Amino acid sequence: MSPLLGVAVWRHALRHPVQLALAVLGIALGVAVVVSIDLANGSALRAFELSAEGLAGRATHAIEAGPAGFPEQVYVDLRLGARVPAAPVVQGHVALLDHPGRALLLLGVDPFADHLVRSFVAGPGEARAGHLPALLTQPGAVLLSVPLARALGVGKGDRLALRAAGLRVAVTVVGLLEPADELARQTLEGVMVADVSTAQEVLGLVGRLSRIDLALGPDGPGDLERVRALLPPGVSLGPAGSRATVLDQMTRAFRLNLTMLSLLALLVGVFLIYNTMTFSVVQRRALFGTLRALGATRGEVFAAVQGEALLVGAVGTALGLMLGVVLADAFLALVTRTINDLYFTLHVRAVHVEWLSLAKGVALGVLATAAAAALPAREATRIPPRATLARSTLESGVRRRLPAAALAGAGMLGASAALLALPGRSLAVGFLSLFGVILGFTLLTPGALVLVLRPLPAWLGRAGSVLGPLAVRGVSAGLSRTGVAVAALMVAVATTVGVGVMVDSFRRSVAVWLEQTLRADIYVSAPTAMSARGGGSLDPRLLPRLAAVPGVEGTSTARTREALSSLGPIKLSAYSLNPSSRRGFRFLEGEPATVWPELEEQERAIVSESFGYRHGVGRGSRITLTTDRGERELTVAGVYRDYGSDRGVVAVSRRTYDRYWDDPGVAAIGLYAGRNADLAALLSEVRAVVGVDDAVVVQSNRDLRQASLAVFDRTFAITYALRGLVTLVAFVGVLSALMALELERGREVAILRAIGATRGQVWGLVLSQTGLLGTLAGLFAVPLGLTLALILIRVINCRSFGWTLDVHLDPWLLVQAVALAVVAAIAAGLYPARRMAGTSPARALREE
Amino acid sequence: MSDTTPERRDVLVSLRGVHKGYREGDRERVVFAGLDAEIERGRVTVLLGRSGTGKSTLLNLVSGIDLPDAGEVLVDGRSLTALGERERTLYRRRHIGFVFQFFNLVQTLTVRENLRLPLELNGVRGAQAESAVTARLEQVGLADRGESFPDQLSGGEQQRVAIARALVHDPLLLLADEPTGNLDGETGRGVLELLARLVHGTGRTLVMVTHSSEAEAYADRCLVLVDGRLQERERGAV
Repeated sequence: MSPLLGVAVWRHALRHPVQLALAVLGIALGVAVVVSIDLANGSALRAFELSAEGLAGRATHAIEAGPAGFPEQVYVDLRLGARVPAAPVVQGHVALLDHPGRALLLLGVDPFADHLVRSFVAGPGEARAGHLPALLTQPGAVLLSVPLARALGVGKGDRLALRAAGLRVAVTVVGLLEPADELARQTLEGVMVADVSTAQEVLGLVGRLSRIDLALGPDGPGDLERVRALLPPGVSLGPAGSRATVLDQMTRAFRLNLTMLSLLALLVGVFLIYNTMTFSVVQRRALFGTLRALGATRGEVFAAVQGEALLVGAVGTALGLMLGVVLADAFLALVTRTINDLYFTLHVRAVHVEWLSLAKGVALGVLATAAAAALPAREATRIPPRATLARSTLESGVRRRLPAAALAGAGMLGASAALLALPGRSLAVGFLSLFGVILGFTLLTPGALVLVLRPLPAWLGRAGSVLGPLAVRGVSAGLSRTGVAVAALMVAVATTVGVGVMVDSFRRSVAVWLEQTLRADIYVSAPTAMSARGGGSLDPRLLPRLAAVPGVEGTSTARTREALSSLGPIKLSAYSLNPSSRRGFRFLEGEPATVWPELEEQERAIVSESFGYRHGVGRGSRITLTTDRGERELTVAGVYRDYGSDRGVVAVSRRTYDRYWDDPGVAAIGLYAGRNADLAALLSEVRAVVGVDDAVVVQSNRDLRQASLAVFDRTFAITYALRGLVTLVAFVGVLSALMALELERGREVAILRAIGATRGQVWGLVLSQTGLLGTLAGLFAVPLGLTLALILIRVINCRSFGWTLDVHLDPWLLVQAVALAVVAAIAAGLYPARRMAGTSPARALREE
Repeated sequence: MSDTTPERRDVLVSLRGVHKGYREGDRERVVFAGLDAEIERGRVTVLLGRSGTGKSTLLNLVSGIDLPDAGEVLVDGRSLTALGERERTLYRRRHIGFVFQFFNLVQTLTVRENLRLPLELNGVRGAQAESAVTARLEQVGLADRGESFPDQLSGGEQQRVAIARALVHDPLLLLADEPTGNLDGETGRGVLELLARLVHGTGRTLVMVTHSSEAEAYADRCLVLVDGRLQERERGAV
């Protein structure tokens, strides 16, 4: 190919810098969103994996039970009986009272055995050995890493106030650990190290261990058999590091959803590129016609246009990568907060720039550009030599293809519907259908535009408008470009509608569920930061004292914790429920009249909807739980609606729990007031009984509901941020499209000016045209948005989390969406209108 | 070019039984129904006719831009109708030079670059291309405007650049479609003189479509297109 072909094409782009900048910006934003989400997700996961890897050390296997652990005698038996390298661990989360919201993992280790598995606590090295006497002899002695101590503002000899197992305790920092490498630094960022006995005291696990880490050699299988033979019932042996896999799976749906939402931003970016390239091809029809007449082959023209697009794509992608790294920092904070709210404690200090994420960004940016530019480039090759084809012929060609496009759109919608109807749980298929629906609606857009616009000029003419029919005909006559602009804006606004309706429905469902479930008048609980991780626990002595408060007529209790089952680690809840609390459960399988007696008297379990969905468990299914008395098989009596955890919950009665687990802990107590009780006075009295203890939260029913919804809103903050970015990309696209459209019509406007149209009328013409485009895009976005919402609610959410949600539609949201489209389109029309109105008619006519 | 074939003439272009029509809405408009014609090598042929008679269509068929619905178009003994789209493009690139009514210069290339483009497309680059460009620019009297962009030139200058570009790669056949249609009388005359000077006596072949009766003065042969047929016209007859 002649380099001059490229020069001829590229100089045109340089002569239209604003259009070029908008195209670059569109790609940059699309790539930035995808890369930032990928980096944030990756950084969070990597931080967790590093921490899990650091804590596991050289351990090949781990002996575990539930959070209440197992007797320490197991360790003694193991050392004597199996003689394998083993290190006992007592661990649990503690809250730092002087740093609200901050929790650390208290890791209790045996300094004399731990070097067999980990090297950052005890082992060779004078500095480490120097801490040992104090660590072993001083009550409440703990070690912190130097960076962590610096972050907390404490030093050697300082005391730290903690809340653990529902009680306030104080510990003393007796030494600082200098992390030997990056892995140790990362691991110790959220860890407080203590001797086993100190940890047992602080965590209320005296005489018990949480875990024993084993570092087995090549004789592994033989060792495993010997170890297994020594384990009592309820204690299991498994490979080390499985925790990381479980947590990866736990958050996979959450991360996948974010990724898909970010891909939507890229999709809108693709529209933008397509738009820009189509315009630039249309603008250069004469150039391509001349080049073809001079003997440039179709392939050469295609390569020149694609080359230009790829150059734009490369610059946009490079900018997008830089912007993505910056955005990732903000997203990381949101992702980490959600993971901390919903899943587990995670400390992530900085974005880890993973080359793979950047490579994905490059591939997406460049491929998306190439794909988006392919059609316009093909169109350029079909421009006849000498450009003898009139513009009207081009537009009539577009119109001729309308039925085929509409048919393809309808086919795409049909195929998506068929995919959705297929039995299965594939999230990828769900998203494929989602994108199919978007594409189907997009293909239907030009046809819909023609149908809607057809009667408008006559109506406006009858109403006495002169410029109105002209504005409408301008939109209709430039269908090859206006169709794409409307489709791009429609997709962006529909995304807003779809995600908005989904989040709104979700929030309403949760609010209704909270109202039904939270039946008590006052709740006393461990702070949510701890209870979300299942580690929160109240002082068991509190329950009888609260039950005795005058005005309290009844109580309910709940305990939630991790447990092992035949289905892997699960969240186990133990309920002691007041009859009123029971009425708050909405059963999807099983009748309340039969479920409750079965739960209480027949040691059965109930499971939440998401648990049932994830594990294919329903009424009558059997689940084997590892209890402190060994393995117990429980029959599922019912499935209930619960939005508390996307992992799902297995619930048993408190009576069953006490029978099989040695854990008197209670995470929350619900207090029921008498009929005529003064709630405010009762709340004061309860607070007085609890005393000044920041390890206990006392809330009214209303406060708890509001706090729960606040967590919900925090979870969806990132969704709103992404939605805003998608809209921004669309805005850039529409601005670019309208600018090109209006500038191309320079001669028409110049003629109007020459025959007496005022500048104000030109402003009016351009803005009414862009306003019309915006209105139509907004109106078309409503059915697409509602379809997307239904797919998100009924398919994506269900397949991601196992929740069914009630669809809630707020008409105000639809009004806002249409208004957003109109405002975006009018705003995008301001610059072209200013330019058109300011152009001298004589000059514009001469330039033609 | 005529319906009657002269004997022993050196024919460069032959049209045999050419049929060509266009669809206009629901009806078909027939432009040519069995047109036979020949154009002789090394001569200036002027093609006259009223608007819409098919003059530009004829140029498109001869250049291989368009194909007849039936019949055959031969240039230098080679049938364009037998070639595929890519082969016709390559043939045009090598053997045809175009001069348009609206100049059709590439606005984003300088004058020199516009002239280099056909050479580069034909694989001629470097010093050889530069010297050919310089020679042509000197021939059209624009040697000092090589670095200008087309929009910095007058209409007449732009058309001279277009003529230089059409000839820079030494094509077999030069086609000019209303080359003076967008110029004032005096400038138009200058362009016709230039074309005639660059073609006459050089062995090049020029087919020029025009409305300008002045063009006849530079023609070796004048043809009029009427009702899809070509008629020979005596020089000076109106």
